[in-house]
Amino acid sequence: MLEARAVSVAFGAQQILRDVSFEVGEHEFVCLVGPSGCGKTTLLRVLAGLTPVSSGRALFKGDEVRGPQTALAVVFQDYGRALLPWRTVAGNVALALEARGIPSAEFADRINPLLEKLRLAQHAGKFPSQLSGGMQQRLQIARCLAQEPQVLLMDEPFGSLDAITRQELQDEVARLAKDERRTVVFVTHDLEEAIYLGDRVIALAANPGRIAEIVTIDLPRPRTQLATREDPRFLEYRHRLYRHLGH
Amino acid sequence: MKRLAWFSTSVLFLAALLVAWKLAADAKLVNPLWFPGPDKSFSKLFEWVTTGSLWAPLGQTVWRMFAGWLLACAAGITLGAAIASSTLARRLLQPSAEFLRPLPASAILPPAILVLGFSDAMIVFVVAFGCVWPILLGAIHGFGSLDQRLTEVSRLLNLSAWDRAWKFQLPNALPHIFAGMRVSIAIALIVTVASEMLSSQPGVGYLMLVAARAFRSADIFAGIIVLGMLGFLTNYATQKLEDWLLRWRPA
Amino acid sequence: MGAVLPLSVLFLWEILSRLGVLSEDGFSRPTRFFVAGARALADGTLLQQTAQTFAAAAQALLIAALAGIALGAILGLFRPLERAAQLTIDALRPIPSVALIPLALLLFGFSREMSAAVAAFACFWPILLVTIASVRAIDVRMLEVGRLLGFPFAKIIWKVAIPAALPGILVGIRVAAGIAIVVTVTTEIVTNPRGLGFAMTMAAQSLQADLVWATLLWVGVIGWLVNWGLERLERRWLRYR
Repeated sequence: MLEARAVSVAFGAQQILRDVSFEVGEHEFVCLVGPSGCGKTTLLRVLAGLTPVSSGRALFKGDEVRGPQTALAVVFQDYGRALLPWRTVAGNVALALEARGIPSAEFADRINPLLEKLRLAQHAGKFPSQLSGGMQQRLQIARCLAQEPQVLLMDEPFGSLDAITRQELQDEVARLAKDERRTVVFVTHDLEEAIYLGDRVIALAANPGRIAEIVTIDLPRPRTQLATREDPRFLEYRHRLYRHLGH
Repeated sequence: MKRLAWFSTSVLFLAALLVAWKLAADAKLVNPLWFPGPDKSFSKLFEWVTTGSLWAPLGQTVWRMFAGWLLACAAGITLGAAIASSTLARRLLQPSAEFLRPLPASAILPPAILVLGFSDAMIVFVVAFGCVWPILLGAIHGFGSLDQRLTEVSRLLNLSAWDRAWKFQLPNALPHIFAGMRVSIAIALIVTVASEMLSSQPGVGYLMLVAARAFRSADIFAGIIVLGMLGFLTNYATQKLEDWLLRWRPA
Repeated sequence: MGAVLPLSVLFLWEILSRLGVLSEDGFSRPTRFFVAGARALADGTLLQQTAQTFAAAAQALLIAALAGIALGAILGLFRPLERAAQLTIDALRPIPSVALIPLALLLFGFSREMSAAVAAFACFWPILLVTIASVRAIDVRMLEVGRLLGFPFAKIIWKVAIPAALPGILVGIRVAAGIAIVVTVTTEIVTNPRGLGFAMTMAAQSLQADLVWATLLWVGVIGWLVNWGLERLERRWLRYR
């Protein structure tokens, strides 16, 4: 589905990524994890078509990624800046439908189920400034889902949220991904989050950013916050990948 | 309850000042020819309203003020959008706009009279000229300040240039534009009245100047009250419009 | 780069005027009005009129500052008084300064005081409001320290309150200075036969288009210079912030 082939990115004299290659299969949930400065956000932006490569190629379904496209939706960490403050919750989701050219008569039928799924239905008429951080991030996810993308690219989406909200949203995203059989690339600095959510975890090393290890996560689904995190295999994966985080 | 108490206090305070005014006028501290009491002023105003002689000049003043202001809004917003979209245009035009902003709008009156003569069109033009700079500068600032993240979102959604301008740039610019509009409406009132006084065009301003020459002080004070109310209402209306249009802003 | 536009406008103006496209009575042409301006500068009239305008504006600013700071300090320190006065302020502030021109004419006739009175009214409000806000923003702790050190009330005001509120007040005065000049010129244009505003009106009445434009240009430059000068002054004085 998505492929990075010998991707290197340099900004001026600084080498951010060097020779990164990996593949993401259809319906797969892949997590990119690594310490700060390892270029994981840059890598995601390369896949999204927002940042150009210095050498190598990024491919989506075999075609080279030349720029942003609607088939690849991006959920940003700074949700406050990625939402339209002047539109309501429903309005923000509608934006994706408008972009797709869907007639406005169909909006309600498409928006309401999405809001229900992300537990925002009773806030449909509110503005982003009236929502909590967690709700705003759910709104961003709802808008991305309204795009009906083929791949969901998520850039440390829960990094700005408190621990409880983070866990709630982890489970919500995991559920959505499995229910709708979505392909997800999830960037995080939280190793446990990566192992908890991913089918595969790609650990990146820093300076310059490059792949340190790729691990397939063989834990049963659906995963739960308590049981899965106590599973001995979970701890094994954690031990194995811990050293790549710059410790 | 507390708010009501404070409101009553401020009403009493204002009433006390009015009483002081009346006492000062009665005591003839200043020549009554120049300084009528509040009773004379308000009754003159009442007379204007009941005989209908207020409405024609007031209508003139109001229509000129709004015509000029609306013209300035249209020009300021469209020009501002155009200028903001091009760095070259910004560098060429913004310095001139900044230079013209501190220029007294009324200073345009003598040249305008020379070129356009004494007419409604001249007044509307001068009002528009005075009003356009705050709006233009607000629009340039507003249109150029779209968060980079939102620009990326618009690219990811593959939005057309029109969609991006209408759904992203314009709402984002609106707070800055409104700030300019609020400043301009105050300028519009001042410039309209000044123009009427200078060019002897029928309107509240001219009415008051004529009264001054005829030593009709009650008329002058009535006129001051009218203009004060006009100023208050336009400011209030603009503020309420802004509060409603921009109700999405964080508290 | 910012000079490109004005220079091209002047250039175009000159050409269009010579071609007869722009009527000479109304528009004159740049070469002519620079000459007229130079002449007015040389024989001192322009400078005299500038001095008249500045004198009235300065008088207005002084009156407005004294009244505004005094009243603002009192209202800022005594919250109940400020709340009582709120309605009165809201009722008087929206009155456009030009509305007072006829009254000032009646009271002061044609004189410097007439312009100064109208401009003082306009300048009073920004100074008052900014003083109230600045005084209210004074950290209560600073005042307490003053009291703990045993200072009498007046000394607290002088040594603690005023320096703390000063930066905000100076900003208000800078804004008011600009307003003083604008309103003074406006009164001169409308009726008062003195100063730069009158220079323009008189030139327009005697159909001297070149002098009108020259004076306008001069007013623009003066206005910009005053604004620039005040901003620099403010930045130097408030460097410690």
